[in-house]
Amino acid sequence: MTEQEIIEKTNRVFEDSFEIEPDRLNPEAHIFIDLGLDSLDIVDLIVALQSSFGIKIRTDEKVRDIRTLGDVYRFIATIKNGEQAE
Amino acid sequence: MIGRLMLYLFNFYFYTLFLLCVIVLIPLFTIFVAVTRVFSTHRNTMRRFRRAMVWWGRVVSALPYPFIKIRYELDGANDVSKPYIFICNHRSATDAFLMKVLPHEFVEIVNDWPFKIPVLGFYAKFAAFLDIRNMTHEQFVEKASRLLQEGVSIVFFPEGTRSRDRNMGNFHSAAFRLALETGTSLIPVCMTGNEIVMPKGSSLLRPGTIRVRQLPPLEWENISGMTPFALKRRVWDMMKRELSVMEGDA
Repeated sequence: MTEQEIIEKTNRVFEDSFEIEPDRLNPEAHIFIDLGLDSLDIVDLIVALQSSFGIKIRTDEKVRDIRTLGDVYRFIATIKNGEQAE
Repeated sequence: MIGRLMLYLFNFYFYTLFLLCVIVLIPLFTIFVAVTRVFSTHRNTMRRFRRAMVWWGRVVSALPYPFIKIRYELDGANDVSKPYIFICNHRSATDAFLMKVLPHEFVEIVNDWPFKIPVLGFYAKFAAFLDIRNMTHEQFVEKASRLLQEGVSIVFFPEGTRSRDRNMGNFHSAAFRLALETGTSLIPVCMTGNEIVMPKGSSLLRPGTIRVRQLPPLEWENISGMTPFALKRRVWDMMKRELSVMEGDA
């Protein structure tokens, strides 16, 4: 999966599940401050990302380190790359 | 200089009366509720106790009149026969008292600090105010659902903390999840002027007019298909717009 595909699919999750306008979805956007998610919304985000990408996300340290949309892209890329390596 | 002196005199006047209210009214209310408890059920006692808290709040809110005026504006019908989840913006420590204008039986969702206030903290705990910071979402939903089933409304300040200025902060989603999980309608409440009467970081009251505007309810039938996040954003947008209208910015 290319980097661009990950970005587009992740953005679609934010648009479909959270009804956030596409123009607000830039890599620097802080998901709590700029996009308005809270800790409970993160659970919904993880469920939506798992369903969209067909991956399993463990709520470990790396999830808690996510702050920006760019962090989400990188986080998904790490998981997808790990899958390919296996 | 004279203005400052007048302000201190006004606060001395208010806090003296406030202290007298604490000393006189709270024991009276307590005795009244305790005596009537003998003749009534737990549910009726709690109803009476929360009513007494409302009246206490109304008396305290009336103390600084006419220097501080509170205007309660109701937009549309007010059905007191069923519980609602009230969503309020939060600019001042006075907001908890301002809720006493609501005609419903209710509890407030608070952080842990109100429970630490001597005397009042005990009463908040007894009235089943919920400390959302010290429980999981599941525990919170369980306790809040029980209250709603009993017909008790729930008041939220979903910003989680007082805003430092007129800008409304992002909402936490617990209130909206509770509404969707329990099938409860929402009522947004917009407050202005409170940030001038008692700004964040100050315990000095200043003269002014506070407006508490209750918006029309978002009935369950019209919100049931929404996600918690979408509902949160819709209410935030509504309140932001209304606050702008109230403050003449729109």
